[in-house]
Amino acid sequence: SENQRLFTNAVIRVQRLHQLAAKMINDFEDSLLPEERRQLSKIFPLSFCNSDYIEAPTGKDETQKSSMLKLLRISFRLIESWEYPSQTLSGTVSNSLIVGNPNQLTEKLADLKMGINVLIKGSLDGQPNIDDNDSLPLPFEDFYLTMGENNLRESFRLLACFKKDMHKVETYLRVANCRRSLDSNCTL
Amino acid sequence: MRNSGAVLILSFIAKLISQAAGVSAPGKPRLTSCRSPEKETFTCWWEPGDDGGLPTTYALYYHLENSETIYECPDYRTAGDNSCFFNKNDTSLWVNYNITVVATNALGKNISDPVEVDVAYIVQPNTPENVTAVVVDEDQGPFVRVSWEKPRTADTRSGWITLQYQLRVKQKKDKEWEEYDAGMQKYYNVFSLHPDKEFMVQVRCKPDHGFWSEWTQTTYVKMPDYIPRERSLWIMITIFSVFIVLILTWTLNVKRNSVKLCLLPPVPGPKIKGFDKQLLKSGKSEEVFNSLVIQGFPPTIDYDDLLVEYLEVYDNEEQELVLDSKDLSEDCMKSKSPSDCDSGRGSCDSRTLLLEKCMVGREGSRSDQHQYSQHGETSWASTESSECQGLEPGSPEFSDGRVKTWPVVFSSPQPHHHYQVEAVKPVYHSVPEILNHSSPHAMPANYQNLQHQDIPQQEGRFGKPACRHSQSYTHGLDTPAPGVSPSRSLEYVEVQRINPENMLLLRPLSDQNREPEGSDYAGEDYSKVKELTSNNILLLQRDTSYQCADGYSQAGQCTTQQPPHPCKPVIYQSHSGMPQEGMRVMGNGYVDTTVLMPSY
Repeated sequence: SENQRLFTNAVIRVQRLHQLAAKMINDFEDSLLPEERRQLSKIFPLSFCNSDYIEAPTGKDETQKSSMLKLLRISFRLIESWEYPSQTLSGTVSNSLIVGNPNQLTEKLADLKMGINVLIKGSLDGQPNIDDNDSLPLPFEDFYLTMGENNLRESFRLLACFKKDMHKVETYLRVANCRRSLDSNCTL
Repeated sequence: MRNSGAVLILSFIAKLISQAAGVSAPGKPRLTSCRSPEKETFTCWWEPGDDGGLPTTYALYYHLENSETIYECPDYRTAGDNSCFFNKNDTSLWVNYNITVVATNALGKNISDPVEVDVAYIVQPNTPENVTAVVVDEDQGPFVRVSWEKPRTADTRSGWITLQYQLRVKQKKDKEWEEYDAGMQKYYNVFSLHPDKEFMVQVRCKPDHGFWSEWTQTTYVKMPDYIPRERSLWIMITIFSVFIVLILTWTLNVKRNSVKLCLLPPVPGPKIKGFDKQLLKSGKSEEVFNSLVIQGFPPTIDYDDLLVEYLEVYDNEEQELVLDSKDLSEDCMKSKSPSDCDSGRGSCDSRTLLLEKCMVGREGSRSDQHQYSQHGETSWASTESSECQGLEPGSPEFSDGRVKTWPVVFSSPQPHHHYQVEAVKPVYHSVPEILNHSSPHAMPANYQNLQHQDIPQQEGRFGKPACRHSQSYTHGLDTPAPGVSPSRSLEYVEVQRINPENMLLLRPLSDQNREPEGSDYAGEDYSKVKELTSNNILLLQRDTSYQCADGYSQAGQCTTQQPPHPCKPVIYQSHSGMPQEGMRVMGNGYVDTTVLMPSY
């Protein structure tokens, strides 16, 4: 069905984003000088992420207990939280990763957000979107920009948080996808 | 204060004692790895340091990234020694764990370096299970179908974890494994395995972002013994070759005739006329045989005509030539007969030489003997050995019936020394041949020669290459010597026989008559062969009966010439093949005497 196709599509897209995030942080770490690497390891916690405030399941049980709608909403918020900072993201990585369009990342995120929105609407089945707990405006606009002058640390944090959030969304969407259709790849 | 001091001293002493005893605080432990098999639980292992000789205990402490609360490991046992197992409740994804291990013994403790762990990224599944490898026999040939199951702990069903698989195959004796990626499916077909061999198969898996599992235990599978039937290939080959054969056959058929011609060349028909069947039938044997006869073959020879017309002897000392212009002209005309037996010799043909000489002689000044002698030199009368073999009887070249040999031109007041020689065979040209038969070469002893130095010029003048005449060169000059009647021209001598004394007997051979002409023709003039020197030189003896003509510079010509030295060796036999010093060896063994000729 159309919904199924959209779901699968969303899963594929977020998977790609996750892979891109992993590659970005790997390249960043490879490009570090040894002393910079030492410096980084001393700084922890490394990833105070913006998305920490977003309540999201951190385990399988918790995830499976969450409804599909909840998972979709969380995914939506996570993606949305990265739309703006992704522009800074592009600046932190080398140009080889994002070739051509420097706004490529932002566009992908925007597309995915739209797709998830569609899925949410489909899942609502006409019901009004009443779950507004998470619709508060997120103070993420300047979150990453105000974290200080240490470019190395901030860059790393940015990349690490991005990767983590993408992984989260991928996991949630997969679980949601498998839950709604029994004949998908999940049963393998 | 005293207490603290006492404590310090005591601890110091204790340390010394413990060091002396060999015990100490524990060494630093080290966290080796943390792994989660299914993204729900995880385990950390550490490596104990030196225990310091005392019983040491280890404790693992951790705290989450966004809290300062330190927890201790909930389970030290489940995962074995020196490990800490975190169950589901204690496991949180996407959260950094800060883990340390502390080693403690009686003397002290030691803390390991902290390790940051995010469980979501340390997933290493268990190995796949129930690996089976089965041989499947198909039309294309047997192959192996390997199938397995996911590790029990991994929850792929709910989509919590997605695994991809990999298998590898090899024979026992192989060093390298052949790896195949199976993606997310749980089976794989392996083709192109060698028949009648045993193979080892192993499988492993990996989550999307994580580590590869360990390889499974080896599963063995044996391929059956089969003959690889690449049927389609053979069919194609067969069709192709049939096609080629058809084309070849058709081509051969079309080109039947030329093939036949190539393989079985036609037998040439007889060139000989053979017996005429009709005549045979008629029974007239005479006619049969007559038809075989070719008219005009062999050419009948008028010996008289064929022999050397005349041999003109050139006197040694004077180096003058007596030339009978009239005869010369006649001879010149005659000598315009067909070419020599071999074309190469044409230029050296004395006849030709003579011819040109004739021309030149007439044109040139007659007063200058020397000049004439120059001319004369060119008319080499050579007794060639083998060059003129072709002039054997029957040579069709002498259509006029006369074969002219090299005119040997003598210059002498008695111009003609005629020698007769027992002709072993028709001599017409064969002064050379006769000379062959008889090793001595007859040449008048007083033969001179040639102004060797002029020879090259003349050769060039007449456009002749180096003469290949080996043997004797007698040179004749055809200019009429002064004092000699102009009618006395070159006369040819017929070598008639060689008498037992090794004398070449020549007799003059002139067209018009055999009679001596002129007063200075002293009948038959003979030159006896005096002797044959060791150098194979024929020394001719000059007769005393010659009339000495005035005007000739040949001093001693009227006298009998005895010794060799007035007679210069004229003839060189080239058979021996040993060139004299100073002789110019030309061509194939022939000797050019010109070089050797001293100037008189």
